[in-house]
Amino acid sequence: MPTPTLKPPVLRDEVSADVVRADAPARGWRPGRRRRFSRNRLAYRLILPALIFMVIVHILPMIGGVVLSFKNLNTFTFSRLFDAPWNGLHNYRAILFDSANPLHDGFVDAVRNSIIYTTTTVAGTLVGGFALAMLLNRPMRGIRVVRTLMLTPWVVPSFVVASLWGFMWQSDSGIINKVLVDYTHLLGHRPVWLIGDNAIWAIVIPSIWRALPFAMLIFLAGLQAVPDELHEAASIDGANAWQRFRRITLPLLRPLIAIQLLFNVIYATYQYAIPVVMMGTNPGPKADLLMTLIVRQSFSNNLFGFGSAASVLLMLAMLGWVGLWYMGFRRDLELAR
Amino acid sequence: MRRKLATASWLVAVVLALAVAACGGSSSDNNKSSTSSAAATPAKQNTTLTMWTMPNSPDPKKDLQGLIAPFTAQTGIKVNVQVVGWDVQLDRIRNAAVSGTGPDITQAGTTQVPFFAALGGFANLDKDVGQIGGSNGYNSAIWNTTKVVGQDGTWALPWFTEARAIYYRTDVLKKAGLDPATAFKDWDTFRQSLLTIKQKVPTIGGKPISPFGQPGGKAFDLVHDVMPFVWAAGGSELSPDNKTSTINSPQAEEGIRFMTQLVKDGTFDKSMLERDGTQVENQYKGGHLAVWIGGPWVLGSVKRADDKTWSKAARANVGVAPLPAGPTGKAFTFLGGSDLMVFKSSKHQDAAWQLLKYLASDRVQQGYANLLGMFPAKESAQKQYAAQDPNLGKFLTAVQDGRTYSPIPQWAQVENAYKGSFGQILTTAAANGNVSDAVLKKQLDNAAKQADGFLSQSTG
Repeated sequence: MPTPTLKPPVLRDEVSADVVRADAPARGWRPGRRRRFSRNRLAYRLILPALIFMVIVHILPMIGGVVLSFKNLNTFTFSRLFDAPWNGLHNYRAILFDSANPLHDGFVDAVRNSIIYTTTTVAGTLVGGFALAMLLNRPMRGIRVVRTLMLTPWVVPSFVVASLWGFMWQSDSGIINKVLVDYTHLLGHRPVWLIGDNAIWAIVIPSIWRALPFAMLIFLAGLQAVPDELHEAASIDGANAWQRFRRITLPLLRPLIAIQLLFNVIYATYQYAIPVVMMGTNPGPKADLLMTLIVRQSFSNNLFGFGSAASVLLMLAMLGWVGLWYMGFRRDLELAR
Repeated sequence: MRRKLATASWLVAVVLALAVAACGGSSSDNNKSSTSSAAATPAKQNTTLTMWTMPNSPDPKKDLQGLIAPFTAQTGIKVNVQVVGWDVQLDRIRNAAVSGTGPDITQAGTTQVPFFAALGGFANLDKDVGQIGGSNGYNSAIWNTTKVVGQDGTWALPWFTEARAIYYRTDVLKKAGLDPATAFKDWDTFRQSLLTIKQKVPTIGGKPISPFGQPGGKAFDLVHDVMPFVWAAGGSELSPDNKTSTINSPQAEEGIRFMTQLVKDGTFDKSMLERDGTQVENQYKGGHLAVWIGGPWVLGSVKRADDKTWSKAARANVGVAPLPAGPTGKAFTFLGGSDLMVFKSSKHQDAAWQLLKYLASDRVQQGYANLLGMFPAKESAQKQYAAQDPNLGKFLTAVQDGRTYSPIPQWAQVENAYKGSFGQILTTAAANGNVSDAVLKKQLDNAAKQADGFLSQSTG
């Protein structure tokens, strides 16, 4: 992870390109490119196995998935796989526009739930992680122990997190209702968490709990790299704590926020383990996420055509998100190099 | 450098071509294996069969190999038992059937057989089953699980059976002054008995006990728990021609409303609806439930001292009764279990059938049923098995009332749709204490709509 500095951007490729261009004969830049290839020969050789591997395990199956999204692949045609009859845009139309199709309702529910899940989980993780990092970025007794303890949720596997919270959310014997109802009397009745309207929060909260330590760790590293002189100088000039946070800390940590935002959104959108372990393969219309829906319809219901089309739509949505993200944070990334 | 790059591109092209050829190669292998299977060789002394089985008993591989040892001694045919988990078996069997590369024999859940058979990768046992009496040796509902609607043939052989029955605490019924012979006879007495338990036996041995509990949407077999009530009310899962769902019929609605009524009465412990099947089973075994609906394997575990989930009081007071009769005057239960299927691609068709025949013999059926705590699939073996214990006798009655779903390839999908809606209905009941007629109807209409979508799948 690059630490933020205020150095002007240095683009190594551009520098080397300039050098090559200066040396190049007048007739063009081709020999320069050749020389660059020649200089990087070892690098090309080293990335070749990875490239071949990527093509076989990533690119080819992805193309296969796109092809299958245009096929009528169901219980009866499954055994024909790529020979299954073409279906044109039917799968896409059914998912997006055909309200008479039951799969359309399921997809709309899953998109809504995934948006709620992703926005709340990512917001909770980043804001919480930042706040914790600020709290822990000060000299005090036992700080190392506190930091280590704060990291424990991060080392617990998702499967275990979901199992543990599954027990904690139980309405009759779970510790959460015991605290809310029996000990503190905050609520007058015992809410049901794992099914129905509350189910989405039953997966959001453990997800934040698990992701928080890593976000905190990254922000803490960033905060420690911020030179104290900047804060001291600002204080002398009369800046209060909020102004120092807004004008110094936040701008310097923007590249870290950017990277965390990118990864957390992608990770949350592709979440599968926590809802499935906690609620089974069908978490119900209020907690069904896009991944649980796609896996269930594809592998339990043999609707691989539907599953492929939904996966392609999800992939396009994520590409759109990465594009937006890049446009929004391009300046910060260049600054951080 | 350009030459090097050309070499690299060439290398990528070769690898891609190889990968594509490998993908394409599997289909030609398919053809090869299916033709070779047509000329199956007779069993030889040095034949080794590969058999996929699921974790049925405490030590699945060892238990099954022990059962098969006399067969190997007798015929010289060795059997390589491979255990495949329930979580992955559907994918693995489906892939083996489609690719033509798999074992010789596999176990399959009774409701999965039609789907697997429709994939076209399994042998038709029609010519062989006559040797063991064919359908005559089996309860018609169990034999039904070897068939596929719209495709002549016998695609599996029943292996072992399970049925659902009522488990009750004899001590609780005694304390409540209820007669076990009549307490669960029909829906009215069943409901009344639970109310009596609620009033008279809130605790036993100083510990609180709930009158009744069943799992909700988390149970993989929720539909098996609910459908007996639909059947008892005169409802059905599908229309007689299997073309449309009838889960939103007034009769089906009545059956499901009966379950929600128990929640409204306060006799159905709502917290059980958040648990999965095993967790609720453990609640009964742990002494937290007076009445519960379960399978025969629980009865088998009563005698096992290593099963620590049983509380002392629950273990000592197990009673079993068949499910109650509904408004039609008839009682039904779900009949499940597992069948055995022979892969079409097996090069040892004859040996595979010999093993199936061996596993269908009365003595072996009984021996395996005892290991599993399940019922044998064969009718003659069932009677001998049930004679061991009066509670098993009650299960035999349940088995005889047993019903199975229509053997259509899309059943698993239809069941998933029903499961989703049943789970929602029970959830609403748990959250609000009741389910309005409008909500019930909406959920069942939604299940029927989804099921109709699955039923309309075509090959074109």
